[in-house]
Amino acid sequence: MTSDFADLPVADTTEAPPLHGRAADLFRRAWLGVLIAGIIATLVLPPAWTLLRTSLGTMQSDMSLSGVTLQNYADLLASPRLGTTALNSIVFATCATLVSLLFGGILAWLVERTDVPLKGLAYVTTIISLGTPYILYVTAWLYLLGRAGPFNDLYRSLIDPDATPFNVNSLAGMVMIEGFLWSPLVFLLLSSSFRAANAEMEEAARMAGATVAQTMMRISLKLAWPAILALALFVFIRNLESFEVPALVGMPGRVDVLTTEIYRSIKEMPPRLGYASAFSVVLLLIVSVLLFFYGRISRHAERYASITGKGYRPRPFLLGKARWPAACFILFNFLVVLLLPMLALLWVALQPFVRPMRWAALNFLTTKQFAAVLTSPHYLQLGVNTLIVAVTTASAVMLLTMFAGWLAARRQIGGVISDQLVTIPLVFPGLVLGVALLELALRLPFPIYGTLWLIVLAFLIRYMPYGMRYSFSGILQIHPELEQAAGVAGAGRGTTLRKVVFPLLWPAMASGWLFIFLLCAKEMSLPLLLAGPNSQTISVAMFDLWSNGQGGEVAALGLIWAALMTAVAATFHVVMRRQSATTFGH
Amino acid sequence: MTHFLTRRTFGGLALGLAASRVPAFAAEPSLVDAAKQEGRLVWYTTLVVGQIVRPIIQAFETRYPGIKIDFVPAPWQETSLRIINEGRANQVKGDLVDGGASFPPLQAAGLIQPYLVQSAASYPQAYRDPTGLWTANIIQPSTPSVNLDQVKKADIPQSYEDLLHPRWKGRMAWPDSPSVSGPPGFIGTILTAMGQDRGMEYLEKLAGQRIASVPSNQRVVLDQNIQGQYPLVLMIYNYHAAISMAEGAPIDWLRLSPTMVSFGQMSLLKNAPHPNAAKLFLEFSLSEEGQSVYAAAGYLPAHPHVPSKAKGLKPDDGQYKDFVLSALAYSEHDKAWQAIYKKLFV
Repeated sequence: MTSDFADLPVADTTEAPPLHGRAADLFRRAWLGVLIAGIIATLVLPPAWTLLRTSLGTMQSDMSLSGVTLQNYADLLASPRLGTTALNSIVFATCATLVSLLFGGILAWLVERTDVPLKGLAYVTTIISLGTPYILYVTAWLYLLGRAGPFNDLYRSLIDPDATPFNVNSLAGMVMIEGFLWSPLVFLLLSSSFRAANAEMEEAARMAGATVAQTMMRISLKLAWPAILALALFVFIRNLESFEVPALVGMPGRVDVLTTEIYRSIKEMPPRLGYASAFSVVLLLIVSVLLFFYGRISRHAERYASITGKGYRPRPFLLGKARWPAACFILFNFLVVLLLPMLALLWVALQPFVRPMRWAALNFLTTKQFAAVLTSPHYLQLGVNTLIVAVTTASAVMLLTMFAGWLAARRQIGGVISDQLVTIPLVFPGLVLGVALLELALRLPFPIYGTLWLIVLAFLIRYMPYGMRYSFSGILQIHPELEQAAGVAGAGRGTTLRKVVFPLLWPAMASGWLFIFLLCAKEMSLPLLLAGPNSQTISVAMFDLWSNGQGGEVAALGLIWAALMTAVAATFHVVMRRQSATTFGH
Repeated sequence: MTHFLTRRTFGGLALGLAASRVPAFAAEPSLVDAAKQEGRLVWYTTLVVGQIVRPIIQAFETRYPGIKIDFVPAPWQETSLRIINEGRANQVKGDLVDGGASFPPLQAAGLIQPYLVQSAASYPQAYRDPTGLWTANIIQPSTPSVNLDQVKKADIPQSYEDLLHPRWKGRMAWPDSPSVSGPPGFIGTILTAMGQDRGMEYLEKLAGQRIASVPSNQRVVLDQNIQGQYPLVLMIYNYHAAISMAEGAPIDWLRLSPTMVSFGQMSLLKNAPHPNAAKLFLEFSLSEEGQSVYAAAGYLPAHPHVPSKAKGLKPDDGQYKDFVLSALAYSEHDKAWQAIYKKLFV
């Protein structure tokens, strides 16, 4: 039997349908795919064209783009120490991906599939760390592990006064920080996969005498394999093209990766956008090749589906003696991903200027930074704007990728192309996407320029790939037999999607929504370029403070904002859990 | 004038003005009328919102009620890209722009409208364009800073040569900013002061000190100096150091000879939708009255008659030798100085 319910024979198949019937049939099967692929293409292709054009041009001193040249690509090949930087890039991206997967993956499995204590803490850790603006998070780690930071300080005062054992400006430091940054993504994504997982096989394995580790390795991991692989690929690409951590952490220690030169090139005057774009185009080709191979692996995805037509009710896996070591893992995650960076930020926010953690400095504690934030009347409007943007974007992204994910996972017409198109924005440099949208908005007949809707549009394009990962892996888990059953029972495709697929997809959609909501609420680069006088967002204010040295006030604002986002996210989470409880019965 | 006197009783600015006896700014009545007709203006700014943008807008709006200033804050790159795209699409939305590095591409693209402010005559030549394409609003001396908890008084560098001492090897940092206020500006200062040959010889020796390039702005590098991450940092703004010193930070900024001084500037945009309101605000910002708002915010006003809040930060009252490098002059050497930076220091 095919996995594609739309291919199921219609009631009367003894005769070939008449021609217009076939056309109607084709239309019935294709319209959704064409519509969704069309929407995605409309969103993605104009900036992709700008990217390609920019990569083939040279930016003049008046910031105009001229000529058609392969010079940018030649420059990529001729970049200094190409071998070393490429190797560093691969090591960095691979190791950081592993850190994210191990941390986020184990955590998700423990929380969703076992009876480990402290589950709530894992969620709190994830949500707050996702709600914390990126530069603050990195800055906190640079502070903690820096030469004058508390770790080195402690070592010096206890063991060797002349030593500096921790060097954050190293490849290891970069891997650690980047790994922590993306482990919440892995956690949220895999936790929705694990929540909907079928416990029968795990229980059977345990019955047959397998240990916890064996069960995890041979059953849980294998079942989630396509989702994990897709995720690993995604995080790997994200790490390969990331230039913030390599720059902020690696550059002072002279650890150069491929994107270090990209970072420098776009900071120059005029920014060498062509060079950065050429790198993105090359990356796009690599991504296409990887996706092609991934497509071959996930072709038989229904083998891995765990939500099937059989009686299905996941039960938590009893850890036994391993309960408390597992709880320690959650605590450790809480400590490194959340508590330490937050304490560092709090320290910075409570000092008139950034200084080492010393008892003597306690005399200088001040709440003036918090007072400055809380008494400023301007942040309220910015906060409201940000919420409008984040809620709208997260909802639009998840709605669109819900259909796209289904088309792709079920190999429907338009599915493969949607999957390819939706991944393209992953490699867009923020500045290039921003410029593409500036040009577009100024030429559109309707007045979107300078409004919040332009930022929403930019975020929609930027975060589609993320939404797709959530919905795609969510759909993979649902065995097509459920849809086939609905089809046989006479339900049309719309009814099947509405009554069977989407309710089962809730956990994945909710996780994806939350993730994108939190990313939008803190994203800085696009609003800086796109916001008008009346569409400023909170992140523009944060960047303004940060880049102008009000480190204390930005830490205070970041903490207050993260607290607010946590409250919003927690409310959402509770509502969604109820929703999923009505579907899954737990 | 009477109009002003009735208004000056409002707000802390007026008190500050009265105390420092800054001459009040008086604009041409025809300009004020035309500006009021327009009713608003849009300012694309690279300045800090809370620190200076809001205070000066407040001062202006108190003075000229009925003219509202909308502003869009962004770093210079985003600001330039935005204006250039608006200009190319013939849809100019902004009236005014400020910044340093943001200016050369805008001028090259022909998007600046010359306008000579009344107070321009008071400004030194280096701080204004004779045709009014731009006038400086703030000056930014780039100096080193030392952490006094970590560096003994006798070890504090007194000259550029002192930076070559072995004790600084691996213990210095500067902002990795490809601009006049980053390493390329430092290189330009050395080459200009010492001459090409001796300058290059010096820079090659300095490269051996392995200065850490921190990919951030001047203020973040200074914060790392205060923390003790790097005992000696180069190319920070002395007024940032002064603000932290006043709050008890264990640092001091150094007067090496010559000290490179760059500056921010303001310009009117071509085809500005509210040209008169923009001109009025430009006049106000660059008058002694407007410049004293900058001084009160901790900036170094470019107007020679307006002193800085903390004494001794500007070259004339700080008695240090300055080397003024404008964004435009820098942009002529940008490629060469950046090439030296990449060859020797990266």
